[in-house]
Order: sequence, then C-alpha cells, then structure tokens
Amino acid sequence: MSYHWNWGILLAQEPGGTGTYLHYLIVGLGWTLATALAAWVIALVLGSFIGTLRTTGNRWIVRLGNGYVELFRNIPLLVQMFLWYFVVPELLPVRLGDAIKQMPPPWGSYVPAVLCLALYTSVRVAEQVKAGIQSLPRGQTFAGTAMGLTQLQAYRYVILPQAFRIILPPLTSEFMNIIKNSSVALTIGLMELTGRARAMQEFSFQVFEAFAAATVIYILTTLVVVLGMRWLERAVRVPGLIAASGAAQAAH
Amino acid sequence: MPDAMISIRNLSKWYGAFQVLTDCSTQIAKGEVVVVCGPSGSGKSTLIKCVNGLEAFQKGEVVVDGISVGGPKTDLPKLRSRVGMVFQHFELFPHMSVIRNLTLAQEKVLHRSPKDANEKGMKLLERVGLAAHSGKFPAQLSGGQQQRVAIARALSMDPIAMLFDEPTSALDPEMINEVLDVMVALAKDGMTMMVVTHEMGFARKVAHRVIFMDQGQIVEDCSKDEFFGKPRSERAQLFLSKILQH
Ligand SMILES: Nc1ncnc2c1ncn2[C@@H]1O[C@H](COP(=O)(O)OP(=O)(O)OP(=O)(O)O)[C@@H](O)[C@H]1O
Ligand SMILES: [Mg+2]
Repeated sequence: MSYHWNWGILLAQEPGGTGTYLHYLIVGLGWTLATALAAWVIALVLGSFIGTLRTTGNRWIVRLGNGYVELFRNIPLLVQMFLWYFVVPELLPVRLGDAIKQMPPPWGSYVPAVLCLALYTSVRVAEQVKAGIQSLPRGQTFAGTAMGLTQLQAYRYVILPQAFRIILPPLTSEFMNIIKNSSVALTIGLMELTGRARAMQEFSFQVFEAFAAATVIYILTTLVVVLGMRWLERAVRVPGLIAASGAAQAAH
Repeated sequence: MPDAMISIRNLSKWYGAFQVLTDCSTQIAKGEVVVVCGPSGSGKSTLIKCVNGLEAFQKGEVVVDGISVGGPKTDLPKLRSRVGMVFQHFELFPHMSVIRNLTLAQEKVLHRSPKDANEKGMKLLERVGLAAHSGKFPAQLSGGQQQRVAIARALSMDPIAMLFDEPTSALDPEMINEVLDVMVALAKDGMTMMVVTHEMGFARKVAHRVIFMDQGQIVEDCSKDEFFGKPRSERAQLFLSKILQH
C-alpha cells in the first residue's frame, strides 16, 4: 500500500474557508456535544419520569410506560433517525411539517437528531431508573409515607435521591453512548464530528489522518466525561456507605 | 368504648386468594399499651400496617381518633402524619443526616420552619441520648442507635399513637435494652402504643393488654395478667412456652 501520510493536513485550510481542518473538526465536536447534551437533558427528564411511573403500581400507567419503552427500544437507532427526519414532518399538520422541513441548516438536521437521540436514550434511562428504584428496600417507601409524605414527596425526597446514587455508573455509560450515538446524525446531514471527518476525507483524500484525529477527539471527550462523573460520584457519596448499593444492606 | 384511640372492627384482608386477616376486632384506648404477638406469618405486621393505611384492606373498619382509615374521603397522608411508626429494619433515610431524618417530614408535612423543626429534632435526639450524633449518617451508627433515631423521628411529628413492628428483632442482643428502655419511658409517659414484639419482658413491664394472633386471627385479647397467668388457647400456651424458654 502506498499511502501518502500527511499529518500537516490538519493545519491546512479546509476548502470552505473557515480555517484549518483541525478547527473544522473541533467545530464538529461542538455540534456533537450540542446535540448530545440537549438530547441528554431531555432523555434524563423524560426517562426519570417514565422509569418512576413504571414503579407506581398503577396498572394502566405501568402498561403505558412499558409500551413506550418497548416501542423505542426495538427500533434500530438509524431507522429512528430516518423516521424523525423523513416521516415525522409528513405526519404533522401540513403547516407545522412544512415549517420543520424549511428550517435552515443545520437546524433542519439538528432538531430531529436531538429528538431522536433523546427519545431513544430516554427508554434506556427509564430502565435504569426503574431498576434503581426497585433495588431499594420497600420499607423506605413505607417509612416515607408512614410519616405523612405523599407518594410524590416520598419519591422526591426519599426514593429518587437514593435510586440516582445507585444508578450513577450506568447513567455515565448512557451519557457516553449518547455522545457516540450522535454520530448517526450524519446520515441526516448534521455536520457533527464524524460527518466532518468524512467531509475532510473527501476533500483532502487523507482518510487515515481525518479519522485518526476524530478518534483522538472522541477519546479525549470520553476521558473528560469519566473524570467529571468520578467527581460527581464523590460529591454525592453518603458517609458510612461503602458503595451506593450498600444503602440497602446497611438497613438490613 | 368511647375513648378508643384505635378501633379495629371485623377486619379482613386478602392477598389475592390468600386470606391474611380474618375478622379481626380490637380496641386500643388512649394511653393504652398493647403488645401483639404470635408465630411468624400470623399477620401481625399486616394488621399493624392496616392501622395507618400502609396496607389496604377489603372488609371491616379501622378508625383512628375518630377517622376511618379506609374512608373514601380520608386524607391518608394527614392521618399517617399523626400516627408514628417504627420498623423492624429502622428504615432511616440513609442519604440524610440523622437530624435531617428528623426534620424532613416536620417541614414537608407539618410545614414547620426549619428552625422549629431543628429545635424539636435536637430535643428528641437528646431524649433518646443521641444528640451528639445529629450530624452523622445512619450507616455510621450501630443498630440500636439507628432504632433510637427512628423512634425519635416518629416522635418528631407529635403523634397521637405509636405503632412498632418488631422494633428489636433485627438487633444484636446487647442493643435490645437500649431500645426497650426508650419504649418503656414512652409508655410511662402515657403514649398510646401498639407493639408487635416477642419481648415478653417488655410486655410484662408496661403492657396493659396482650393480643395473640394465629393464622390471621386474633386468638387471645386479654389483660397482661390474664395472658401471663394462663392463656386460654392452646396455641398461645404453646407459643408462650416456646419463647419464654429463652
Ligand atoms: N405483599 C404480600 N403478598 C402476598 N402475601 C403476603 C404479602 N405480605 C405478607 N404476605 C403473607 O401474609 C402473611 C402474614 O404476613 P405478615 O408479615 O403480616 O406476618 P407476621 O405475623 O408479621 O410475620 P413475621 O413474624 O414473620 O413478621 C404471611 O403468610 C405472608 O407470607
Ligand atoms: Mg412481621
């Protein structure tokens, strides 16, 4: 193989005239993070809500929650991305659908990408939240409600703060997943990091440099996330409990 | 009985097809201390949880201080806030400091100011001898200390009655007395108490009445002296002879 290595390409100007290829990729990282973070906030709120509902014991609410989870869990991410981009605007009232289709780039890809990743991840968050709540001793709910807390208050002050401590590690991996999954948005034209690495390869023919640089950027980002979550885990650690899941054992 | 604080009438409860409680009736007067005992699985916990509506029941009536627990219009959280409950496994909130365990419901349910709640909490911690531990977390305390905090937590709501579900049976033997001492003091203060326990020493010392349950039924319901003198049912005699051996 006679590949012509040229790491200097990263500092060469990209044809769009916005600056170097490296700068071009880093702007891509910006879009990756903007997509992942927005989707994560929605996924966390929605997932916590649905995961909690699934533990309430109300049969219809539980069924509704289960249906939601099954729906989004069983459709491949790529298909969901296409559904949000191509199909959903057609299903909406014509005015709204047209407005969405006419959104200028990059918003026309950004909004569907965020919604897609948010809902896809929300069911995974919901699963974790449900498992976290169910791992707590039932007596904790009894103790809360026996003191006169409403069910809502018991969740808010007693159950969820404990459940979230327990599921912090799996939530960390979900957050890293959402960053990586955001690369699927390149299929609907969002120029995030992977999309830009591909564009760079097409413009410059330096395929290895383009994807090596993108890989390094992804790894560095993941590293920052891991360190951040470690810090968070330490910050919310309960004195006297060795692991978060020790909460259950300490009471028994 | 006009001054009944807790009145249970013809209470029956099923888990699916399985009947846990069968036609249970009893009354507990204001200031009365009643010990409930019986073999494992006889329905003691279920009975006591029906008193503050932690378990729903299908038949009969439970009235606490004139309010029907199963009534369609009953404000259950409000009723529960007036009845203290202490659990076998303490069930302190592990992610909160000891004092926060005592102030949370005072603030969120009774809407007391943080300052008032704190004062009340510290007073009660002093009463159970744990004021020095107010800033610790439950997992940093021994079992006996945790259960004393749990009692203080229940008292922080100024309850009109206290329910105990085997408060000492998860404790190491050397810690049982520190908890029983707190309960004895409470009984002597005139608190209305319904106590599921096998600590017959406690029953002898402060109980007014003893209820013996078997297979979901109240088999004996008599004064302490009658019960320890000679229980009428054979099951109760057998049970007593078993637990009094050790
Ligand atoms: N949620 C439940 N679903 C089905 N059956 C239950 C449930 N909770 C309790 N039971 C059954 O009801 C019966 C009474 O249980 P309960 O806990 O009231 O007994 P107990 O007298 O408190 O026993 P122990 O001394 O072991 O605490 C038992 O046979 C138990 O298996
Ligand atoms: Mg029990």
